[in-house]
Amino acid sequence: MRKKKIPFIEQLGVHIILFAAFLIMAIPFFWMVSTSFKNPDEIYIFPPRWVPHRPTFDNYIELFKTVDFGRPLLNTIIVAVTSTFLSVMLSAMAGYGFAKFRFRGKEKLFLLVLATLMVPGQMTLIPVYLILNSLNLLNTYAGLILPGVASAFGIFFMRQFITSIPDELIDAAKMDGAREFFIFLKIILPLSKPALATLTIFNFVGAWNSFLWPLIVATDEKMYTLPVAISVVQGQYGEKIALQMSGSFIVIIPIIIVFFFAQKYIIKGLSMSGMKF
Amino acid sequence: MKTRLSAILIFLGPALFIMTVFIIIPIALSLLISVTDFNVYAIFDWRNAKFIGFQNFINLFSDEIFWKALFNTFYALVVAMPLTIIFSLLFALLLNRGATYLKSFFRLSLYLPSITNTVAIAVVWAWLLNPRYGLLNWFLGLFGIAGQNWLSDPKWAMPSIIALVVWKAIGPNMLLFLAGLQNIPDFLYEAAELDGANRWKQFLHITVPSLRPQLLFVSVMLVIGYLQLFEEPYMLTKGGPLNSTMSIVLYLYRQGFYQFNFGYASAVAVVLFGIILALTAIQMRLRKYQE
Amino acid sequence: MKKIVISFLLILLAISICGTTLKVWAMGEEAKTLPVVTQEFEKENPGVKVEVQALPWSNAFEKLLTGVAGRQLPDVIQMGTTWMPSFSAMGAFQDLGKYIEKSEIISEDKFFPGSWSTCVYKGKVYGIPWYVDTRVLFYRTDLLAEVGYTEAPKNWDELYDAAKKLAERPDMYGLTFQTNEIQEFIPFVWQNGATVIDENNKLKVDEPNFKEALDYFARFFEEDIVPKAGSGNIFQDFASGFVPMFFTGPWMVSMIHEQTPQIDGKWAVALMPEKITRTSFMGGSNWVISKTSKNKELAWKFVEFMSTPEVQLQWYQLLKALPAVKEVWNYSELKDDPFTSVFGEQLKDARATPNIAEWEKIESIVEGVLEKRVLGKITTDEAIDEMTQKISKILK
Repeated sequence: MRKKKIPFIEQLGVHIILFAAFLIMAIPFFWMVSTSFKNPDEIYIFPPRWVPHRPTFDNYIELFKTVDFGRPLLNTIIVAVTSTFLSVMLSAMAGYGFAKFRFRGKEKLFLLVLATLMVPGQMTLIPVYLILNSLNLLNTYAGLILPGVASAFGIFFMRQFITSIPDELIDAAKMDGAREFFIFLKIILPLSKPALATLTIFNFVGAWNSFLWPLIVATDEKMYTLPVAISVVQGQYGEKIALQMSGSFIVIIPIIIVFFFAQKYIIKGLSMSGMKF
Repeated sequence: MKTRLSAILIFLGPALFIMTVFIIIPIALSLLISVTDFNVYAIFDWRNAKFIGFQNFINLFSDEIFWKALFNTFYALVVAMPLTIIFSLLFALLLNRGATYLKSFFRLSLYLPSITNTVAIAVVWAWLLNPRYGLLNWFLGLFGIAGQNWLSDPKWAMPSIIALVVWKAIGPNMLLFLAGLQNIPDFLYEAAELDGANRWKQFLHITVPSLRPQLLFVSVMLVIGYLQLFEEPYMLTKGGPLNSTMSIVLYLYRQGFYQFNFGYASAVAVVLFGIILALTAIQMRLRKYQE
Repeated sequence: MKKIVISFLLILLAISICGTTLKVWAMGEEAKTLPVVTQEFEKENPGVKVEVQALPWSNAFEKLLTGVAGRQLPDVIQMGTTWMPSFSAMGAFQDLGKYIEKSEIISEDKFFPGSWSTCVYKGKVYGIPWYVDTRVLFYRTDLLAEVGYTEAPKNWDELYDAAKKLAERPDMYGLTFQTNEIQEFIPFVWQNGATVIDENNKLKVDEPNFKEALDYFARFFEEDIVPKAGSGNIFQDFASGFVPMFFTGPWMVSMIHEQTPQIDGKWAVALMPEKITRTSFMGGSNWVISKTSKNKELAWKFVEFMSTPEVQLQWYQLLKALPAVKEVWNYSELKDDPFTSVFGEQLKDARATPNIAEWEKIESIVEGVLEKRVLGKITTDEAIDEMTQKISKILK
């Protein structure tokens, strides 16, 4: 659409910056993957070996022998998918409410929602545990999923995004007799695809990687999620670091897949072509 | 015209209900114990905790490590926040350009720090910053700049932590800005270009105003997040050397989980809560006047 | 009719004995290896199943804490010795006194005194040692030989002398210490016959022997014998000779063999240097039974099982964890191993830190003051004053 030619210098400059950023950001990731294929005597060598001279699958073999992947993987999938879906839905709904509804006390209520982010998680660890215990939700999927499903972060993010949807669109629909539910489904959601996709990534990563909470809630190993099941292979003094790295790499792979999949929706919306000013 | 009650209940109800049960009530409980002497003896049997009024807060006032932690945390906030916003926005713009190749790949690479195993991150950063054989000092040496003891010098430990924090934060915040950028219709830029506006002007007069909601979001979330700095000093320095990287939440954690002074830790949390609430309310109010 | 009732009751009895599950919490690698051993226990006690829940070391503490707070504890728990004081103070453990009295397998004299002391809280016994660890000197035999030491330094003077000579090599050091780790500092205090607090919880840091130990320790930093920034990568540094000596525990033996096999044969371990004694720090893990357990008799049987010499030896063979039961050390596997035997010798003179609830706070103060002292921010006298002032407040 733009007929102007982009100067070569600019293209070169941009891509050099991006490549440099890639290197800086990816170093620990490389080290993690590379170490997972190393024998112990190559791990702490200096200068660090980015590519092992004698790569080995031993760590992965031992990982699959020591860790029973079946149940934890199933748990992680159930928890991650369910909580992501529920969380994104609740955030979108509440975000819409805070963005477009009108009622007294809305701002104060919203500040209360934000306030839930202002206390460090360590403080609420024991109280939440006690509440789950009293509701008999320990060692259940509900106990793993529910506490994290209402997220002020998600609500705030959706609220900000939905605010920029023009009121005129909504008013026009209302004049045609549409109620909030219809507006939500037919106008808000379609126009919010980039935000929904982004929130899905965040929630999925958080749920998939969640570690402390599943450990606390599970009273037997059958309810462990994958990150917990893998973390147990470590010794008290950092032994078996290559084994841990191989586990971590396996855990990351689904996240990368979801990330690429969600990218499709974070493109400029054809959705905006409906606006005629 | 006020919205229907039923709509309010349906759309806000579920989230608020779950939030109340699993977040608001626990927060209230955890803040309430700040007026007790809840300690190791009360964990198994909470009746061992006694009401002591504001004694914890009085002790907090004269606690030099608490003030140091407060200072350190604000130091981190003031430096890390602008850096994070600038870099995240910059990369969001670069990765929104039509002419950039391999956008998805670069977006993923910026996001990698968020999802990489924290042990790997700690090991690699400790190596990067190692005074003798770390990459950073080697790189500086190429330009004749003397390398520092990044993590063991009280002067440089906090800046090192800040660098790590910003490094981790760029990816997610870039994604947040990117989502906002998608919302800006192309024709606004085209119209401006026809009017002769160069790209910098377009940025200032179209992009930035359109991103206001996201900018508010990011700045509020960064204040909330950075004041609760914990993970990075915990991973790399445990608050040292000489408490130069002790953050408020790290201090709170040590008081609560190492020394079992839960009542005292709760007082710290109350103070922190007050500070963050005030700063957030101010930001929200400021924006309201701007709009 | 009678027959039916009796058979019914017999069946009930059988069911109640059969299918008892003993729940155990253990950490990391130990937890993963435990099933090998518990199989035996299950065979010896038909109808019993041992269910081990593995906890990662990184967050086992939070898990235990929430378990105590929510009274959701298993029957048996592996408890690190440094966690014993706090959790004992919480009142979550079962007093084992009456079980020990009746036991034929377990008694105080079967274990090392330092290890047993971590099980005693306010005069009652709450745990039974499972495995132990202690710290010894790891040193490069070749590099020490170059400065005239064909054997490891035996006392404070030799340690200082050897380290100083090694530090004279350009850009190298003689030793490494952390600036604020009490487990590295307090052995020197003990070796000089001093202590932080004595058995009656009286503060003893202003005694001259304590000051002497502090000065000795700080001197290594002041004279640049140890790197102030610490060792970035101990495997790397030990192998390159940058840090030819350091103090650590048994887990490093196999790790060094694995990570840096190129120095095999060029390093060894030795006892702590002597001043008045050669005391070292003692750690390890104990077994505790939770107060809320419904299977205490069975749990005790399990603990007894883990304390038999056969199982203790087997555990050593599996994970190279040092056995807590003294008589196991007479087996040649341990006695004749060049590395393990040194640890065995050191265990005879190894202490743990005081098993009182306030110890965490005291430790935190000592470590903070220690750091300031070795980095030269305060003098020894100021350090003593600060410790006295702050610790007194806790003890009163």
